[in-house]
Amino acid sequence: MLETHGHFLWWLVTAAVVIWYSTITIYVAIRGTADVREMLKNLSERKQP
Amino acid sequence: MTHFDWLVDGPIVGIYLLVTMLAGLAVRRYVSRVDDFLVAGREMNVYLGVASLAATEFGVITCMYTAQAGYKYGFAGATPGICQAIAMLVIGMTGFCIRPLRESGARTLPELFEQKFGPRIRRAAGIVIVLGGLLNMGVFLRIGGEFLVVVAGLNPDNLEWTMTGLLLLVAVYTILGGMLSVLVTDFLQFIVMSLGLIAVTVLVLWQIGFGTLVGTVETKIGPGGFNPFIHPELGWKYVLFQLLLNTAATLTWQTVIARVLAAKDSATGGKVFTRTSFFFVCRFLIPGIWGMAALATLAPLALQNLPGGLSSTDSSLYAMPTFLATFVPIGMMGLLVAAMLAADMSTDSSYMLTWASVIYNDIVAPFRWKNWTEKKGLLLNRTIVALIGVFLLFYGLWYQMEGDLWDYLTLTGSIYLASMSVLLVACCYWRRANSWGAAGAIIAGAFFPAAFLVLSKLESTKEISAAIGPHLSGILAFAGAAAAMIVGSLLKPQARH
Repeated sequence: MLETHGHFLWWLVTAAVVIWYSTITIYVAIRGTADVREMLKNLSERKQP
Repeated sequence: MTHFDWLVDGPIVGIYLLVTMLAGLAVRRYVSRVDDFLVAGREMNVYLGVASLAATEFGVITCMYTAQAGYKYGFAGATPGICQAIAMLVIGMTGFCIRPLRESGARTLPELFEQKFGPRIRRAAGIVIVLGGLLNMGVFLRIGGEFLVVVAGLNPDNLEWTMTGLLLLVAVYTILGGMLSVLVTDFLQFIVMSLGLIAVTVLVLWQIGFGTLVGTVETKIGPGGFNPFIHPELGWKYVLFQLLLNTAATLTWQTVIARVLAAKDSATGGKVFTRTSFFFVCRFLIPGIWGMAALATLAPLALQNLPGGLSSTDSSLYAMPTFLATFVPIGMMGLLVAAMLAADMSTDSSYMLTWASVIYNDIVAPFRWKNWTEKKGLLLNRTIVALIGVFLLFYGLWYQMEGDLWDYLTLTGSIYLASMSVLLVACCYWRRANSWGAAGAIIAGAFFPAAFLVLSKLESTKEISAAIGPHLSGILAFAGAAAAMIVGSLLKPQARH
């Protein structure tokens, strides 16, 4: 897995894709939940007469 | 043969569909105005925007054509994703075009164009955007269904009914909840889709290995599989066209900029772009890795025994699902199919809504009665979304695709991307730009791709079109649109103040 097989650039890009995507999925899952709640709260308040 | 097991994998897919449907329907009560329906009341924040943009821009069709690119071109097939990531990062950091667009308060691109070029250009731009977008979207359903046929062993005779059912689910929550339902379901779909994509990619790298992928690309594709500039079918024209195309897509593709328009403010829109930018490398490289794994492991005759009724004559499109059908184990197969359904549904819902927003806002607007209530506006929007769903059902499911899918998509897309990107840049940054230039840019931007399509269909001109190639034809569309904007704007007499 750690061997670049003579193609360091593509090895680096592949590693970055797996690591970045795994991290951002967890991060967005947490922060996105807060965003959904805030969006619905704001829309709900706006609907109040 | 497939590892999909209805007893183990079926419930995973069923639970995903149920949860998505409930979430999509639950938020419909927050929709009371047209702005809520079209741009979620402009209340979208950064991470919801990141999830929604990523989920929308990754559909089953994306997965199929990027895997096909990996199968045919190796790592070099990820070039479009790298181009789009660079474009999105730069645009997000600088606010190029998206800042003035968001600050204008427009709901759509044509609405912004009206401020500079007048109402006729607004309507013309609306028609170009809708035609380009809907034709592009036309192939989504069938390709999505074909993925399920190959990977999950779905009976090809049931493809139309299955995809009709899926589209109905999507249409119901999109019609009722508009952009709010799209955002919330996109968020769930992003998580499911990402889990599936990561899990399968890790499995591929773990079991097949990076070394095997590299070795396969070296022996079956050659050095061009690592460098697009030296690949005989790609080259500098391909790279330049991808750079232009993906920059234009980032600036003007309605489903992409819908996230900027729904953002709280222009800074939030920029952050959504910068933080999503690297996803576009993932969007191309992950299915590309699956495609390369198919190239490494499939037996030479594996693609000769595909199920009947598949639309593409190029069997390389089905290499990736054929590989996954027996590579992914039972249990994980349910996650993969749920992930792909999530990808497909998020794309369909967002596309239906955003093209509907242009039809409502820019094409139908002049014919609306004055002082329409919000209720009537909502009803009209919902009707347009439903009609797009009907269009997709018939045109999308019965359309017979020919040739290279990516070339088809980029060509139909470039009919609008070339002209709309030139209009947007000129609208935001060139004071002298006017309606003559805008009209010229629309005509020139549509002329080159359309002419190329006609040349490629006629027997007598097929050789000419082959000599030009889709990439040069695309570059000419951008150059022609820019030249027409400059010449047209300079020719029109300036108004005296």
